[in-house]
Amino acid sequence: MGLFSASHLTYPNSHRFLSHAYKAYNHTGADIAVSVRDLHVSLGGQSVLRGVNLHLHRGQLVALIGPNGSGKTTLLRAVVGLQKPDTGEVRLLGENNIQKALPRVGYVPQRFVPDRSFILSVREFLALRLRETQSWFWHRHRDTDDRLMADMAELGVESLLDRPIAALSGGQLQRVLIVFALLKRPELLILDEPTAGVDSPGEKTFYDLIGEIHRRRKLTVVLVSHDLSMVYRHASWVYALNGVVCCEGSPEQVMNADALKETYGLNISQHHHIGHPF
Amino acid sequence: MTFLENLPSFMLHAFTVAVVMGPLCALLGVFVTARRMAFFSDTISHSALAGIGLGFLVGLEDPTWPIVLFSLLIAGAILWLKEHTDLLTDTIMALLLSGSVAFGIIVLSLLKNRRGELHRYLFGDILSVNLDDVWLAIVLSSAIGMWLFTKLSPVALLTASEDLAHVSGVRTRWLNYAFVLVLTVVVSLSIRLLGIILVTSLVVIPPAAARNLARNLRQQLILSLIIGLIGGAVGTVASYHWDIPCGPAIVMACLAIFILSLVVGKFWLNQPTRAKSA
Ligand SMILES: Nc1ncnc2c1ncn2[C@@H]1O[C@H](COP(=O)(O)OP(=O)(O)OP(=O)(O)O)[C@@H](O)[C@H]1O
Ligand SMILES: [Mg+2]
Repeated sequence: MGLFSASHLTYPNSHRFLSHAYKAYNHTGADIAVSVRDLHVSLGGQSVLRGVNLHLHRGQLVALIGPNGSGKTTLLRAVVGLQKPDTGEVRLLGENNIQKALPRVGYVPQRFVPDRSFILSVREFLALRLRETQSWFWHRHRDTDDRLMADMAELGVESLLDRPIAALSGGQLQRVLIVFALLKRPELLILDEPTAGVDSPGEKTFYDLIGEIHRRRKLTVVLVSHDLSMVYRHASWVYALNGVVCCEGSPEQVMNADALKETYGLNISQHHHIGHPF
Repeated sequence: MTFLENLPSFMLHAFTVAVVMGPLCALLGVFVTARRMAFFSDTISHSALAGIGLGFLVGLEDPTWPIVLFSLLIAGAILWLKEHTDLLTDTIMALLLSGSVAFGIIVLSLLKNRRGELHRYLFGDILSVNLDDVWLAIVLSSAIGMWLFTKLSPVALLTASEDLAHVSGVRTRWLNYAFVLVLTVVVSLSIRLLGIILVTSLVVIPPAAARNLARNLRQQLILSLIIGLIGGAVGTVASYHWDIPCGPAIVMACLAIFILSLVVGKFWLNQPTRAKSA
């Protein structure tokens, strides 16, 4: 068993089906990054999540797909403790107390529109993540910069340090938010539609970049995406959500039209990516 | 120092409170304005009228404690109504503001011997600051000032985004409550000097003036603090010198600095990165 799980951690892609079988036996194991059991959430009197179950293995790049309003954001918010579940259980990095696991998690929300009346610079914004509890106020800039530069350069935003975050373009802001999420060297990176606001040529390189970060840092990545070709190229496991988990599996398994139709229902024709020859 | 020696003690009291509360209001104001809580501050200050009325009704000579307690009650009511009803925050605050003012005015006009005092509470009066108020202001503002400096990072992160603050480990719920508590206490302690109608201007104008000159949050905080200090000091001296109400004098001093900052910011400092307000 030990050998089995070790191989799973090292080569998640080539052991998809084996790991799936393995998962059925061991839901509480140390290699589970996120485990959600029978999660029910209702918002404004409407039931949004109706018994979601999922178990994400460490080291994977997991894609969460589903039509608009299917509860993807709600699920991720529940995972990081931003949304209180009605019933059900969430375990994050082996912790039942989500708050305890949060220092090891990076999260990029779907919608973050910085207020123009708040003149926080990119440097200050990122410094708040580095030293949330101590006072960043009295620190010299160069000390902060040293700690920020590597991650900034990786995402290609090192020139933005002095800009107010409210003055960034959508794509620049997304990148800065990813730097924010990566600063504390998380074990788990949760991205809710990371390419919102990124131009479409940039989108491909953006996903390549996330794929590369995933490989190089050996972290677990969960991302929401509407771009099914990206899912096919980078994800090692896919969950299709529509209030419940409609289907899960390798991209090949999930991408077959029947399973997807079940998820997207009548919306399927709106998603032109489905026609791609995979 | 002959200037200070020739001053009557009431003037010294007023001056001390102004140079203590001015910077504190201005510092808090940076976050209050960014979090769009200016109307909240206005509601709190107007609720003081009801506090004053109630205090006189039960026979208290000094209105400081009734003001503080009733303002806290109203702040709590706003939070409770916000959480437990579907009413808009603006509606809730307008409701409580007009209710408090109506109640306070009725009580003050029923108490025949108090009618003449309305003016000094509405617009501030340096004559009304006694030695107890000075000590209260010094003790509370140093406690609050120290709290704010140790919590600067979490408060700044909370202001930028509650969600990101939460995932960065900030206890957002408690920090929100603490912020409201601190703001309420600071506003109600400044009413003696500024008056009910104008106290919010000391929370709004210095941060706005600092915003014209600052390039990042640290600069805005420091500048706002200095402007609040100068505005408070100049205003109380002017109030004494020309025998005008203290609140309007402080507001005019702050406004003069604001106009200066606008001119300097527009024509002297070249700020290509400044976000244009949409
Ligand atoms: N604050 C709220 N109050 C009431 N209903 C809400 C609230 N937030 C979300 N919902 C509803 O919950 C459902 C799921 O929303 P959610 O944001 O999780 O969907 P999503 O899968 O992320 O969609 P998208 O692809 O558009 O981001 C939607 O039907 C939405 O209308
Ligand atoms: Mg969403």
